Amino acid sequence: MGLGFVVGVVGVVILSHAAYSTIQYRSLLKIMEEEFSGPPMNVVVELLLGLVLCMWAALTVPGNFLSIKLDTDENRMVSLPGNLDFMIFNHRGKVFSSEMDMKLKI
Amino acid sequence: MVTKTEDTQLNRLENQVDNGGGGAWEYLCLIKKLKVRRPEKVLKYGLSILNDSKKRSSLGSEEWTLYEQVSIAAMDCQCLNVAKDCIKVLQKKFPESKRVARLEAILLEAKGSWTEAEKAYTSLLEDNPIDQLIHKRRIAIAKAQGDISGAIELLNKYLEIFMADHDAWRELADIYVSLQMYKQAVFCYEEVILAQPTVPLYHLAYADVLYTLGGLENLQTAKKYYASTIDLTGGKNTRALFGICLCTSAIAQLSKGRNKDEKESSELHSLAVTALEKDYKNTAPGKLPLLTAALKSLKIS
Repeated sequence: MGLGFVVGVVGVVILSHAAYSTIQYRSLLKIMEEEFSGPPMNVVVELLLGLVLCMWAALTVPGNFLSIKLDTDENRMVSLPGNLDFMIFNHRGKVFSSEMDMKLKI
Repeated sequence: MVTKTEDTQLNRLENQVDNGGGGAWEYLCLIKKLKVRRPEKVLKYGLSILNDSKKRSSLGSEEWTLYEQVSIAAMDCQCLNVAKDCIKVLQKKFPESKRVARLEAILLEAKGSWTEAEKAYTSLLEDNPIDQLIHKRRIAIAKAQGDISGAIELLNKYLEIFMADHDAWRELADIYVSLQMYKQAVFCYEEVILAQPTVPLYHLAYADVLYTLGGLENLQTAKKYYASTIDLTGGKNTRALFGICLCTSAIAQLSKGRNKDEKESSELHSLAVTALEKDYKNTAPGKLPLLTAALKSLKIS
């Protein structure tokens, strides 16, 4: 968690540095009066590195993936909940009324 | 819905609590979350928490929901004194609450004073005519008194207003099945499946009812729904596998001579048989000869 978060922050910093370099490069081009043909090599490398780091952090920090397959153990229903809204009380529990003589102490 | 993981977790916690390993509160929370009915355990462990003032105060505001849970469990065990005491505590804490008033009416039900309970529910409905839980309790009263047709009538009236309530549709289906009114039950299960299409157990129940109804068309639909149950459970539902075997053999019996898609059907049959045999070999090798004998008696030609 901690490591992933740090990596994510580093990735964002690298990306913003790439943005900053691009702006600087363009203003440099304006001074030298040349046409913009494409970003310089170091910016491209920074972009790729930032992309990889951010993606890795985004996949690890929020937690594990949950299964979406219906037949895995996490998703496979094995029994239905008791329909408790319709529960009725005159069942055999009345006859087998428990030996437990419990009391609520108030 | 109780998934496999939750089921194993529940059993593990139950074992742990039964053997005095602690974790009673987690167990009670899980029971409430999964909506399973374990009144005796809830009563025993819930009371032991409530009677221990240190444990009780550490729950914070959860304490009151525990009182509610224990009181319902106590009514289910016919320990009406405990239920009454729990409700008294809640009444003192929340004097104006509708929820406590409902609990009191349920206590009347548990005592068997139907008319008084009915009266209490009617007055509660006057304050809030769209309280679903109270409508459901009135249906339950009719059912508890053995007045099944009255329960069906009330349930139908309820479903006219609250059509999206799949629990009520499920209840109605159960009642119809208990009365052997399978055609009506089929309709209810269709509604249930429409509301929750990913629950394999509803597909299974629907297929069971269709198979019981019989007839070539119904059997074919039943086979499809058994197949969808297998699809949704990854083949781990034994009942659905047996259902496939029974359906294919019944269809073969009915459509003798008109062998249209017989090949596909016998293929499905043999697949189901293989899956069943593999399952039995893994979990109960002693029962394997019984299974093979039973499957052999099903004719599929």
